[in-house]
Amino acid sequence: MLVPGLAPHDAVSNDARGMAGALRALGHEVALFAPHARGIDEAVLDPQTLHAWLHSREDVVIYHYCVGWDFALDLLRRTRARRIVRYHNITPPAFFEGWSPGYVNACAEGRAQLAAFAALGCELYLGDSPYNIEDFTSRGVAAERCVVLPPFHEIDELLALAPDARRIPRGGPLLLMVGRQSPNKGYLELIDALAATVADGLSAARLLLIGKLDPNLASYGAAVQARIAERGMQDHVVWLQDANGAELRAACEHAGMLVMLSRHEGFCVPLVEAMAIGTPVIALASSAMPSTLGTAGLLWPEDADAWLIAATIARVHADLDLRTTLRERGRQRYAEVFAPARLAAELARILREHGFA
Amino acid sequence: MLVSTDSPDPWLERIKAEIRDEAAAARQRTPLPRIEPRVATTADPAPAGSGIEPARLDYVIADLTGADYGAFIDHAFRSLLKREPDPAGAGEHLRRLIEGAPKAEILGDLRWSGEGRRIGARVRGLLPRYLLAKFARVPVLGFVVDWGLALAGLPVLMRHQRAMDTVNAARFSDLRTLQRDCQTRFAGHEAAQQALASAQQALVAELQRGSAQFEQQLAQLQQRADALARTIEAEAQASTGELTQLRHEVHATHHWLASLQQALAALDEATAQAQAREDALAAAVGEDVAAQAQRSERQRAWSALLATRLGTGTRVLDLGSGAGTWLRALAAAGLVADGVEANAQLVARARQDGTTVALGAPLDALTRCADAGVAALTVSASLLDGREAVTRLLDEARRALAPGAWLLLRVEDEPQHYRVRLLDARSCAALLAAAGFVAAEVVAGHGGSAVLARQP
Repeated sequence: MLVPGLAPHDAVSNDARGMAGALRALGHEVALFAPHARGIDEAVLDPQTLHAWLHSREDVVIYHYCVGWDFALDLLRRTRARRIVRYHNITPPAFFEGWSPGYVNACAEGRAQLAAFAALGCELYLGDSPYNIEDFTSRGVAAERCVVLPPFHEIDELLALAPDARRIPRGGPLLLMVGRQSPNKGYLELIDALAATVADGLSAARLLLIGKLDPNLASYGAAVQARIAERGMQDHVVWLQDANGAELRAACEHAGMLVMLSRHEGFCVPLVEAMAIGTPVIALASSAMPSTLGTAGLLWPEDADAWLIAATIARVHADLDLRTTLRERGRQRYAEVFAPARLAAELARILREHGFA
Repeated sequence: MLVSTDSPDPWLERIKAEIRDEAAAARQRTPLPRIEPRVATTADPAPAGSGIEPARLDYVIADLTGADYGAFIDHAFRSLLKREPDPAGAGEHLRRLIEGAPKAEILGDLRWSGEGRRIGARVRGLLPRYLLAKFARVPVLGFVVDWGLALAGLPVLMRHQRAMDTVNAARFSDLRTLQRDCQTRFAGHEAAQQALASAQQALVAELQRGSAQFEQQLAQLQQRADALARTIEAEAQASTGELTQLRHEVHATHHWLASLQQALAALDEATAQAQAREDALAAAVGEDVAAQAQRSERQRAWSALLATRLGTGTRVLDLGSGAGTWLRALAAAGLVADGVEANAQLVARARQDGTTVALGAPLDALTRCADAGVAALTVSASLLDGREAVTRLLDEARRALAPGAWLLLRVEDEPQHYRVRLLDARSCAALLAAAGFVAAEVVAGHGGSAVLARQP
């Protein structure tokens, strides 16, 4: 299992480790290789030694593709072992134009390798979502080699935590957004929607933002703060950059709804977290979010304006039947589609049908 | 597939249609809060502690009327509209203040503007004053009421006027004291400035002296550097001569090594030619028809005996296969035989006769076999050329033969073996037993002997 980096509470790392655990439970010998790792409670090996592990054509290399990495591309070109590309998507660089030249370059380089990975003819391409796997089918990879498997996650561990609500705002309808502050996440539009919500009646509404800000995107963070000030929402917004699992659990429980106005998601784990805990979801029907949410939430087209989102917030807040139904649908969808046991069984089926087991 | 995009849900679609209608109405009903660019105001800075307090929505009128002129306007904007004043708005309200508009009227205009109503700050005592100020704007009646109020308040105004006179007199007195203090301080500063100028001149003179000394030291250093450069140049010339000599010696050594390589190559060639002549001699030794018939007879008997011990189809490794006659006998007995022979002439002859024999050192071939990887081994006794060869063969055979595997030692008095003083069959059997093989037996007849033994 080759990963560009491993860290706690990181979506790609959670998927890699969950997949490794499921494969070990199936009787396979699995080793994790990453150039950087911190806070991981198992051995992580140097990718330079991966060749020594590959003894025969029956061995399998699973590469978690989420950034541009020449080493991985070169290794998959040269190895005689079987290859699986686990694709988590890379944000299109256009989202970062005007905010961070570094992000523009990194994302462009990462997406430029899509064609090279497609041309490798790997035995299997495993996307987090139908949206992700289109990146390979549209580049000529045979459909029978392209399969969707939702990412493994740590939501069961989240559900087992005791909620810590000491820093969670009280009173008023509480709106929740979970995700790093990044231009593709639609934070500016979210502030506008909050302002419209407050202006049109829900004057006590508050928005809880849970997510870090990369210093390289400081200009975007400043723009979000400026938008908050310009809309007069300083007293309505609380931002937690360092929330832990217990606080995230409490936030989901106390929030009246999760409002996700992101324009690009390869899968969107926060939607699944909200579904599992029973938080109603309002989201845009962009990228992978429709396939992740299904009919367990309210989806709007990407051109939805602040008033439409505000009206949706007001409706969810006022309509107990709607909230109850969305909550039940979310929990049901989590149990049927995203529960770890379901993912492990699906992984086993995929490997069996594609001749890996 | 676990994940798929679900088909539209009619119940959700109905709710979404209702939400769309609500959103359309809201768009008409309430505008989105206005985006105001932050601009610097020309008004006086707000009094300390009067910055924007978004959470504070409750004031008494005295909180807002204490300041004057620009500070009053700035504080009113920050308190009632929760923002800094924009230049146009601040200018208009300052103009009205200059024209004598009461502060209560300006505060009321801000508080009950559309923007002020959305914020909804409460200013206790403002409403009646604001209504009176507005009433005073009513033609005739407002003028009369204004006059009436002014007359009613005349005693209070006169008391304020007297108090103001006293305050002003006190302030003028303070100002005069301050002016005297400033003059005293100014004189002190002038004296300090003159002292500083004198000190500066002294420092400049000191700096000039230091600069001259520095230039002098720099010149000395330059002289030393020139001398050092000349010394280095002389040493470099001497080193160049030594390097030239060394280069000559390297060239000579290289020439000698090349000659040595040529000599060694000639020696290798001579050795190879000698080996080829020896192989040719051994291969050319003839034998009579009777001897050939005897050899065929005994090899047929030995191979049949081996086949009964091993079973047909067993793979046999033969060392010292010669021209391949023994390999053909083994194949005829139903065994699968691989042979190794060091004599290139004999290997070529075997190939002419349709038998593949590998060219190479037979004992080296046995060394490369895996532990316990050989099912049966046959060896020409001609390989037992000296004590070292015997020891090596027995060690490697014990290692490479599988448990229960058979070893057959061919003791044949062939003419090609003219160089070797052969051990007799009995000695061979004794050697095998001594090396740890079991069931050693000798099968003699037809001009030769086979010594059979088994790996325990």
